Amino acid sequence: MATLEEKIEETRKLGLQVVKEIEEDRLMTLSVGPQHPGSGHFRFTIKVDGDYIVYCDPDPGYVHRGEEKMCEYRNVIQNIPHLERPVIHDSNNITYSYSLAVEDLMGIQVPRRGQFIRAIASELNRQVYTLYWLAIYGIFLGHSTMFMWPAGDRELFIDLLERLTGARVTHAYNIPGGVRNDMPEGFKQRCLDHIRYFEKRLKEYEDIFYNMPLFRQRTEGVAVLSKEDAVKLGVTGSVLRASGIPYDIRKVEPYDVYNEVDFKVQYMKTGDSFARSYVPFLDMKESCNIMRQLLDKMPESGEVRTKLQPNPKGPPGEAYRRVESGRGALGYHIVSDGTPRPYRVKISVGSFRNLLALPYLLVGNKLADMPAVYWSLNYWPVEADR
Amino acid sequence: MSTASGFIKAIESGSKHLVMRRFTLRYPEQKLRFVGDGYQFDPKKGVGIAGYRGRHILIHDKCTGCQLCAIACEGIAEAIGMVKVDENWKHNKKAIMPQIDYGKCVFCGLCVDACPFYALFMTNDYELSSFTKEHLIYTPQQLEVKPKYDGNVEIIITDRGATHG
Amino acid sequence: MASYIESFRFGEFVGSVLWLVFWILIIISLVGLPLIFIVLFYVPLPPLGDEPLTPYLFLTMVVDPTRTVPIAKYLIHTDLFRVAAFPGFTYAALFAAVTIFVERKFLAKMQLRYGPLYVGKIEGWLQLAADGLKLISKEIIIPAAADKPIFWAAPIAFVSVAAAAAALIPVAPGWVVADIDVGLVAVFAIFGFFPLIALLFSWASNSKYPFIGGLRALHQIIAFEIPFIISALSVVILAGTLNLTGIVESQIASYWFVFFLPISAFVFYLSSLAELERIPFDLPEAESEIVAGWITETSGMIYGLIQLGTYLKLYVLAALFVVLFLGGWSGPIIFPEEIIPGYTGEKIYNHVTLSAIFWFSVKTFGVIMLFLLPRGISPRIRIDILLHTGWYKLIVLSFINMFVALALIYGGILGPEGLLVR
Repeated sequence: MATLEEKIEETRKLGLQVVKEIEEDRLMTLSVGPQHPGSGHFRFTIKVDGDYIVYCDPDPGYVHRGEEKMCEYRNVIQNIPHLERPVIHDSNNITYSYSLAVEDLMGIQVPRRGQFIRAIASELNRQVYTLYWLAIYGIFLGHSTMFMWPAGDRELFIDLLERLTGARVTHAYNIPGGVRNDMPEGFKQRCLDHIRYFEKRLKEYEDIFYNMPLFRQRTEGVAVLSKEDAVKLGVTGSVLRASGIPYDIRKVEPYDVYNEVDFKVQYMKTGDSFARSYVPFLDMKESCNIMRQLLDKMPESGEVRTKLQPNPKGPPGEAYRRVESGRGALGYHIVSDGTPRPYRVKISVGSFRNLLALPYLLVGNKLADMPAVYWSLNYWPVEADR
Repeated sequence: MSTASGFIKAIESGSKHLVMRRFTLRYPEQKLRFVGDGYQFDPKKGVGIAGYRGRHILIHDKCTGCQLCAIACEGIAEAIGMVKVDENWKHNKKAIMPQIDYGKCVFCGLCVDACPFYALFMTNDYELSSFTKEHLIYTPQQLEVKPKYDGNVEIIITDRGATHG
Repeated sequence: MASYIESFRFGEFVGSVLWLVFWILIIISLVGLPLIFIVLFYVPLPPLGDEPLTPYLFLTMVVDPTRTVPIAKYLIHTDLFRVAAFPGFTYAALFAAVTIFVERKFLAKMQLRYGPLYVGKIEGWLQLAADGLKLISKEIIIPAAADKPIFWAAPIAFVSVAAAAAALIPVAPGWVVADIDVGLVAVFAIFGFFPLIALLFSWASNSKYPFIGGLRALHQIIAFEIPFIISALSVVILAGTLNLTGIVESQIASYWFVFFLPISAFVFYLSSLAELERIPFDLPEAESEIVAGWITETSGMIYGLIQLGTYLKLYVLAALFVVLFLGGWSGPIIFPEEIIPGYTGEKIYNHVTLSAIFWFSVKTFGVIMLFLLPRGISPRIRIDILLHTGWYKLIVLSFINMFVALALIYGGILGPEGLLVR
């Protein structure tokens, strides 16, 4: 009879097989469902033996809206408002990828100033999303101050985005052909001011959260995802970079103006929960540098949008483009048959890929590690369900 | 010892915040100031003018009843319907103008992008709540009125923290 | 422009005001006054000069000032006043209420936001009253398969046990509800009830998340009781008595014990945080892991009672810290002996007592602020780190200080005839 440790080791190696030799009445089934404060709009069922998790079964689909099907009934421009809703706080990235794919399909060229503004909006949105993620991470671990500070600092960037696009969260700003409007007066100076203030705040986050011994004890060494496993499971984004692989789509296949910007890909080698929570923070710091360079190199004036006909259509064909969003690679594969409405749109999101690592990582850990591990995978339920 | 220094740094950081200024925007005593008059679109150049996307304003002198805004919204939110108005305009023989249902509108502004006659813009007004659903449907006469909105604060960064002031 | 407001009719306004006045008069005259008289018949009243004091004469004290002061002084020294008002339940509940409000505002300031702001004109000071009214008016939902007698009894037991612990704390010389010779041991005995109540309530809730929360509460509180008791024991060694009033008096005779026993004070502080289930030790109520722990199934006033009990416990432990380590009520006398010099009538107040109460309240408030601080700066701890700290590290630390205390006594520095005794 193998001991419990050996059985758990076996489970980890074989993936999702439930270990049936453990007496079933020792296990308690907990449903961490949509009504749980620690789960978001997503449910997963875990079986617990004492304090150890032995089985996890995620159950996505609670917020499925049929985004891909809805795209087939609207023309290319009308798709933007509903396509940005799956990740509404990262809306500039999810429409960025769509616009790039449509521009490939229809052969549209975006003017240079438009490309720069798009990249700036994408970086601002990345900050907004990562701060929101950090806030929820704090509250999952019981740190209410770490919830309030990022949520407050997020207002700095939301204010900038509101001046730029006209709405706080539902931007609808990137469209095929460029962006919808030019920057207002005084935007560049205000952006630089806010970024400078924000970099001072990042030091405070380090003091109170990342260097806090209690946080480190809870996350260092917990749920280690090794390099080979990360590649095998196909995770993406900050989870991949935390396991030692410096892969960032902005460096690997640079889109728009990212090949003119000089930045380093941030990665860590340990692959535990602490690394997964620290890599987005380093990404935020790097993002401030990128924004400064973009604001410097941007042409002073120019067009921001190519004028299209009211119902744009292009030759039949297909296109695939991907973008580095806050959660990982976000790709669009669009197939068109010559009409203004796309024939098929397939969205491939980073969250759904990272979900594969969740059952694998949770098994063998304590129940108290469940929020730390779950949220460190950077999983946004609405995006995974589309 | 690094545990102890970690705790002491955290206490220091927390106590530093006791003298910083608070960040909250105390709506409704303080309201955000917006730059400009709202989102507008220039159909000749094909590009928009940055502004806040709030309630729409319909300029009756320019609207020809071409329904392009309603057609644009059909695929998005179906919030614009054309209704007959009681006015005589030379450029609007059919005498129809858009009415907007703010229960359905998502404030994306693509209807403003669709209008070729400089007739539909958006303003700074976002305080649109009402007690019934029917009161949310704004007729063309209601859309003609320019709203009065005065905001008085914006984010300023002082040496004791950022605040709304 | 889009909404319609019902028009204001003056007649309806006047009608509603009259209706309110009518009901207030009815309630006062038919319910309030008879209640006052019934109570007064049963409260023993002092004789006034040579005539017995009837309830009717009692009410004349409002108009005749020469009668007010002796009656008031007599009433203050009755048992009912001590238990219900000061230093018993009302004083403790007042501290609890002020603590809840101050906690919200203090945390809000640290998190760069306002706390309650609109209820009550100045900084929302009436927020607690609004919350209390809200909780009273909510429906109490009990799970169908829950164990109803225990489900109802456990929160009431929680509050009663916390209030019973508050009955042992001396606030001023001679002002304690129950002056027991083994006061400190009685406090620990009463605190031993809390894990039982948590476990009973979580078991009676008949649901998975309360079950996990109750087990965690049991493990946590039991793990920290031993360092709690041992660190208090070093104080007893220095003071030579278990009576709480005696401990304060021995500190008045020498110096505050926190200077001799800093490690014990620190261990007592950490163990109190764990007993109170405050962040960073709030595993039994960890919101993101086990919904709300052992209080998941509470709603309405049951939740209100448990919160009241928790904050009463906070007052008790802060007051205990002050009594054991910070010298209780010791401090310079700041109230003058008489307000009007040369007044030879009845003394209205005793300046020594008032100054003792003042210093005790100030110190307790300071210690409460110290208890509130970790909530702003630290995340939640995990159960195995918690048990490791409680069973290994804290017990060792508290023993170290106990040896220091023994050395001080045997070296003749403290204790009777000691060098530092004034």
